[in-house]
Amino acid sequence: MYLKTLHLRNFRNYPDQKVEFSAAKTILVGNNAQGKSNLLEAVELMSSLKSHRTSRDRDLILDGEAIAQITGHLRKEMGEVDLSMTLRQNGRRSVGLNGLNLRRQLDFLGTLNMVQFSSLDLDLVRGGPEQRRHWLDSLLVQLEPIYAYVLQQYNQILRQRNALLKGVQKSDLSRQNLFSSPESMSESESSSPSELALWDAQLAIAGSRVIRRRARVLQRLVPFAQSWHQAISGSTEALEIRYAPNVELVDDNPEALQKAFLDKIQQRAIVERHQGTTIVGPHRDEVEFTINNTPARQYGSQGQQRTLVLALKLAELKLIEEVIGESPLLLLDDVLAELDLSRQNQLLDAIQDRFQTLITTTHLGSFDAQWINSSQILEVKAGQLVRMV
Amino acid sequence: MEAKLQVGFCSVCFHLSAEPVCDICRAPNRDSSTICVVSDSRDVIALEKTREYRGKYHVLGGLISPIDGIGPDQLNIHALQRRVSQQKIDEVILAISPTVEGETTTLFVGHLLKPFTRVTRIAFGLPMGGDLEYADELTLARALEGRRDLEFGSR
Ligand SMILES: Nc1ncnc2c1ncn2[C@@H]1O[C@H](COP(=O)(O)OP(=O)(O)OP(=O)(O)O)[C@@H](O)[C@H]1O
Ligand SMILES: [Mg+2]
Ligand SMILES: [Zn+2]
Repeated sequence: MYLKTLHLRNFRNYPDQKVEFSAAKTILVGNNAQGKSNLLEAVELMSSLKSHRTSRDRDLILDGEAIAQITGHLRKEMGEVDLSMTLRQNGRRSVGLNGLNLRRQLDFLGTLNMVQFSSLDLDLVRGGPEQRRHWLDSLLVQLEPIYAYVLQQYNQILRQRNALLKGVQKSDLSRQNLFSSPESMSESESSSPSELALWDAQLAIAGSRVIRRRARVLQRLVPFAQSWHQAISGSTEALEIRYAPNVELVDDNPEALQKAFLDKIQQRAIVERHQGTTIVGPHRDEVEFTINNTPARQYGSQGQQRTLVLALKLAELKLIEEVIGESPLLLLDDVLAELDLSRQNQLLDAIQDRFQTLITTTHLGSFDAQWINSSQILEVKAGQLVRMV
Repeated sequence: MEAKLQVGFCSVCFHLSAEPVCDICRAPNRDSSTICVVSDSRDVIALEKTREYRGKYHVLGGLISPIDGIGPDQLNIHALQRRVSQQKIDEVILAISPTVEGETTTLFVGHLLKPFTRVTRIAFGLPMGGDLEYADELTLARALEGRRDLEFGSR
């Protein structure tokens, strides 16, 4: 797919800026804090309805303005698509496709596909498990937009169940303090066990959906990641990626998984009641990367971690292409200059002209001449774009 | 303003009403062996617009939501249980939106009433996250026709 134009109005530090992408690769060059990442963020929003930098829409609206608008024109195999998005101070959004306002935001997802790679992505290897869960979830939303709904349901059930457990914990504590006997159960507590059981059941149903989808996407991604990793590292290192769900997946049977989920909740019931929070479920999942049998987190150099992240990103690119049947966009925020020339060239070979790529950088100096020659170069200056010759 | 101040709740079904017992509960020609359970008075108004439903209602006054400190005791659930256990009720229709809180409330009420009567739920073809209030009349009428017995197994 190819994003032909982008129009930002009152978005971040852009009062009104049209962009026409005239080459498969566009390099956005400019000093710090000029608006390079802001532009990529607009594309990210069009793709995922989310920004990795903020969850509040008012941060996205030009200071002093009421609404921000992003529109884009996308060319896909099956035709051209106009995307539009309006953001408001109060957080209410409207999204549209081809001039039609959508009632469900979910229907907007999956239109524009992209893979994002920024220097922050090194945290994928170095950071905590929540980084890896988030990475996996974002990929899943692109491949199966309904997953956004599945995950949202799970998180809502989790929040509700935590609130209930907190309440139980509080009343346990106050009972311990005020009375010595547990006889003083009020009516509300006598009904709460069955209420908890209902939340347990819902958590298990929604949680199993999350686990099965995560397992499935990793299974498909791993072969791509391994072959890229081998190519980039010169086949000296063996990469393993293992999904470590909090509730073990026995086989791909939803009923068995739900049962295992509920069994584990039973086993941990006393701990949960004591801690006042849910400790069983996919919000505690982990994805383990190992290189030559050593956990990648502890494994050696930044260079190796960078190789791993690059392999993961290229694998995402290929997987999305395979599943969607179209090439996604690639957004490289500040990251290219950090790669040495040989990795830069490997990346260039991998994407060729098949993947539209938007690249940000503060200087062009560290780029291989190949990149510069084949790219459209735009200068970003205080929320405005200037074409460079 | 004055009219608004007088509005209270029906003592039987908890629908908004200026009288102690609302028009619907008093109507002699309505089927009093069927109760449709909704979370809010606005849902009663939406369902009434369909002209499809001729039974009575029960308004819970919200949904189970521990985050908001709302458990079964904060809703008009015990009154519903009393109504169903003490009168001859052939069917209770649960017409609650399919959100996480709605689903929990549906299951809770369903469990509670199953010993006394047949419990069905409305087959929602509603927009995601959509409230009953926003469903158009045709959709609601169809949903009422397509209601099915509440199941307690996994989905
Ligand atoms: N809502 C907003 N209204 C106005 N200006 C904003 C808003 N949000 C961010 N900015 C401005 O945008 C600039 C940051 O832009 P951006 O993150 O795109 O920088 P960048 O060009 O990517 O820089 P770097 O090279 O440091 O990554 C800052 O000057 C910031 O003040
Ligand atoms: Mg930046
Ligand atoms: Zn009434």
